[in-house]
Amino acid sequence: MPSYEIAMMIRTMPKAELKNTLMRVSNCIFDRGGIIRKIENLGFRPMPYKTSAHGIVHREANYFVLKVDTGTNVVSDLKEEYSRDVDVIRQRVYKVNQESTDQCSLEEELLPPAYRKEVQKMIEVGKTQVNRFTFKFKYNSGLDYYPFQR
Amino acid sequence: MALIRNLSMRSIMLNMKKVFISDVRGLNSEAVNDDLPVEMENPYKKEKRQCILCKLNINPDYKNYRLLSQFQSPYTGRIYGRHITGLCKNKQEAVEREIVKAQNCAYMPYFYKDKVFLKDPRLFDPENPVRSHRF
Repeated sequence: MPSYEIAMMIRTMPKAELKNTLMRVSNCIFDRGGIIRKIENLGFRPMPYKTSAHGIVHREANYFVLKVDTGTNVVSDLKEEYSRDVDVIRQRVYKVNQESTDQCSLEEELLPPAYRKEVQKMIEVGKTQVNRFTFKFKYNSGLDYYPFQR
Repeated sequence: MALIRNLSMRSIMLNMKKVFISDVRGLNSEAVNDDLPVEMENPYKKEKRQCILCKLNINPDYKNYRLLSQFQSPYTGRIYGRHITGLCKNKQEAVEREIVKAQNCAYMPYFYKDKVFLKDPRLFDPENPVRSHRF
């Protein structure tokens, strides 16, 4: 089961109701055989842009992030379920980022163009191509007429 | 008879010369070896430059919108390019990806920078890009 992060914005409501909503949201995941690793509360704050959901315009929201392990086929189902939920303003599901082990390539990028691998490759590719500016039609090509517009 | 003697003398002389030369060479090589230049790394080699995120080992994350907003223009909300931020290719790509995610999740605005973060320290100077641009 791959791990996902569900970023969820829940509408303004008292704490008791919020608890109920979170229970409902997480039960959706449990019903489909998923696991919740963590629920992060990013707090209640004004949204950077107003959002209309279910006929109401929201300017503030409770921000939550659920760290979830579920099957891949469940995700679309969950999205659909939450889109019908009146208390959920907006939800996004992202895969958890893999830790990248790449080395910093800034040093190579700051080299002069002729020393950069990328540019060298480009020149190699350019050599295999026909130069449009210096190409000249050969009259001994077997055609008895000039094939291009003069 | 004289010819033969001459030849043998010559060969003996040659052999002796060879031995003598090899002797001298052997002596010389031992004597010179201490004085030869020593194999070592270039002491004047410059330190490898790294971008700020690689140096501090930070992986940009969409939940850390305060960090991401430092790569956003306060006037237009657009993401600064690589020639301004001075990041390596991978990190710049990651920053751009995470900013788009954060904007999608309504953590970050699209067209301006959150006014709470306007006085955050600047990681780079947009007025002095590495490469000039047409603006």
